[in-house]
Amino acid sequence: MSQDQWETLVDELLDGVISEADFLRLEAQMRVDPKLRRRYYARLKLENGLRVEAERLGDSRVEPVIPLWRKHAIGLSAVASVALLIAIGVSGWKFGRVTGQDSVLNVEPSAAGFAVLSDYSEAEWDDGVRLDRGDLLPGGALRLNSGVAQLELFSGVTVILEGESEFELHSPMEMTVTKGRIRALVPPAAKGFKVNTATGEVVDLGTEFALDVTSERAEMHVIEGEIEWHPNASDVRSLTDGQSLSWTVEGEFTATGFSSNTFPRLEDFERKFLGQRQARKEAWESASEIMAGDSRLIAYFPMNLEDASSRQLLDGSGSGFHGTIVSARKAADRWDESGRALSFSPAGSRVRVSVPGVHRSMTFYCWARIDSLDRMYNSLFLTDGHDLHEPHWQIMSDGRLFFSVKKRESWPKDPDKHITYSTSFWDPSMSGKWFQIATVYDVDAQTTTHYVNGKAIGRDRISDEFIVDTVRVGAASIGNWNEPTRNDPTFSLRNLNGAIDEFAIFGDALSGEEIAELYEKGRP
Amino acid sequence: MDSKDPDAAIVSLLTQHQPAIHLYIESLLPGDRAAEDVAQEANSIIWEKRSEFELGTNFKAWAFSIARFQVRKYRFKQAKESRFVFCEELEEVIAEEMADTLEGISDHHLALRECLRKLKPADRDLIYHRYFKKTPLSDYGEKIGRSVGGLKVTLHRVRNRLQTCIEKRLAWQKGLGA
Repeated sequence: MSQDQWETLVDELLDGVISEADFLRLEAQMRVDPKLRRRYYARLKLENGLRVEAERLGDSRVEPVIPLWRKHAIGLSAVASVALLIAIGVSGWKFGRVTGQDSVLNVEPSAAGFAVLSDYSEAEWDDGVRLDRGDLLPGGALRLNSGVAQLELFSGVTVILEGESEFELHSPMEMTVTKGRIRALVPPAAKGFKVNTATGEVVDLGTEFALDVTSERAEMHVIEGEIEWHPNASDVRSLTDGQSLSWTVEGEFTATGFSSNTFPRLEDFERKFLGQRQARKEAWESASEIMAGDSRLIAYFPMNLEDASSRQLLDGSGSGFHGTIVSARKAADRWDESGRALSFSPAGSRVRVSVPGVHRSMTFYCWARIDSLDRMYNSLFLTDGHDLHEPHWQIMSDGRLFFSVKKRESWPKDPDKHITYSTSFWDPSMSGKWFQIATVYDVDAQTTTHYVNGKAIGRDRISDEFIVDTVRVGAASIGNWNEPTRNDPTFSLRNLNGAIDEFAIFGDALSGEEIAELYEKGRP
Repeated sequence: MDSKDPDAAIVSLLTQHQPAIHLYIESLLPGDRAAEDVAQEANSIIWEKRSEFELGTNFKAWAFSIARFQVRKYRFKQAKESRFVFCEELEEVIAEEMADTLEGISDHHLALRECLRKLKPADRDLIYHRYFKKTPLSDYGEKIGRSVGGLKVTLHRVRNRLQTCIEKRLAWQKGLGA
């Protein structure tokens, strides 16, 4: 066979249409023919390259714009996949405020918003706005005072804001920037993405560009691809990669070239974001060591599962109340580090613990990721069964925290305990987000107080009739509930659909300030 | 590399080696669309095992060894229903040689881009349908009034032309001493 005939077979192989006989022939030849193998490798590269290129070619087909190759452009999809990788373990999607969530169940939940904050580094927002990773961006004008923030618009556009900036999102395809430096990466699917400025608007034709906007002028640099500049009172201009344009309100302009490597690469931002996360995590690790030494601590599970096979969950308080993991799987913690949290989503998941002794005031504390609250009761920490003087801590399906200590055997039509509910803090728009959750049972003040992310969200006074000053825990479960009737194979589904990466029980009432401080130090 | 932030270093290495990892896996799973999934799988394993990687050592070799293992694992799962699979001996050779030929992928892409520009519009259209729209050749043939056999031959020739063009450009660049 001629070289060309062999190559035809290679094409058929790569197209997935080769016959068995031809495959065997080709294989036999490839074993002895290094030249043919080299053709095979070359063909593979070509195929791979064509697939990558066709996407661009396909999208700018009418007038193919073939921008200068920049080495890291090929990495873009890789950056996205790495970002995905890092998000592994954080399942569930994050959507905005859910409306009408108290109404009938068959109403599909909806949310409002155009983008999420996908990452940030030292970002300070104006007006006390506080945004975490994965949060939906609120509507209206937003102002970033300092730091770097990365937004992912639902159209697929990635926008990075650097330093002081003012902007507003109008849709996933349009935003206004009144001030600031932004970087936009627009995938083919979001071609036509528009940025309004005081001097004109930028319409993107599938590209990566940088903008520096003030009220007097707009400066734009096309790093790759092409944009159109629609000045307020002048004709449209188009810019391609390597071109810069500065345009004043008066319509004066200067066009220049620039060197793309004067701009930070997207990987540099990614590194910065990762670095910040890492720094916060390390800061928390030192703070948590101090917490572990707190004499009020009864048990503390940081859930750092170094040993993959072990089902033992180490108690970091020094009390030696190690737990036993049942069914729960390793998951990523609130900094996205894998294997440092437990997911309680698999049916039957729980951590069995046994805490002896009699306690007065108590504090229950954890960091939890809630994927959904689809059970009537979603467990955080419950003692087995429901015996006298035992605490139960869980979340209701409507997003309210529940805490009680059983005071007496239940009499007909008469409550056996005081249940303290918080206001609702969760709806499906928060699925996949991490929360610090704490509840303080203060016998001396006769109160139960619920906290989420360092803020009190509900407090009840417990009357003399229901206060319990000898709280017992005994055998209990984190993330589930063990029912009293043990020989019955059916069980209620009460495991938390989500994950916990830190859990602590204190034998005392922590103050609101202490909870807030723990939140500040521990938030990712 | 910033040793203070090993995760960032791994992200950067992983990003940088994405095209190579993909190609490497494709070379061992020719014509198999699952290659993409296997590559994703390999990526997550690399990420999970990142603490085992010693910064400063050969990332590519380490990543490839994981990729190779993922290919085997995929094969094992596929078992008999699998597509044609190279015998182990040949696979060994390919794995080794492929690892050596993956330098300069970005130059290769740049050259390809230039070469695509030089294609006749009709040929470029064929590439567009084949690789972007993924139109089956039969449908496309019907649309433009050509037989599948004829299109196959054209496609083969276009690929050859691109191949030659790329090789020339790369050789020319090399000659420039760049």
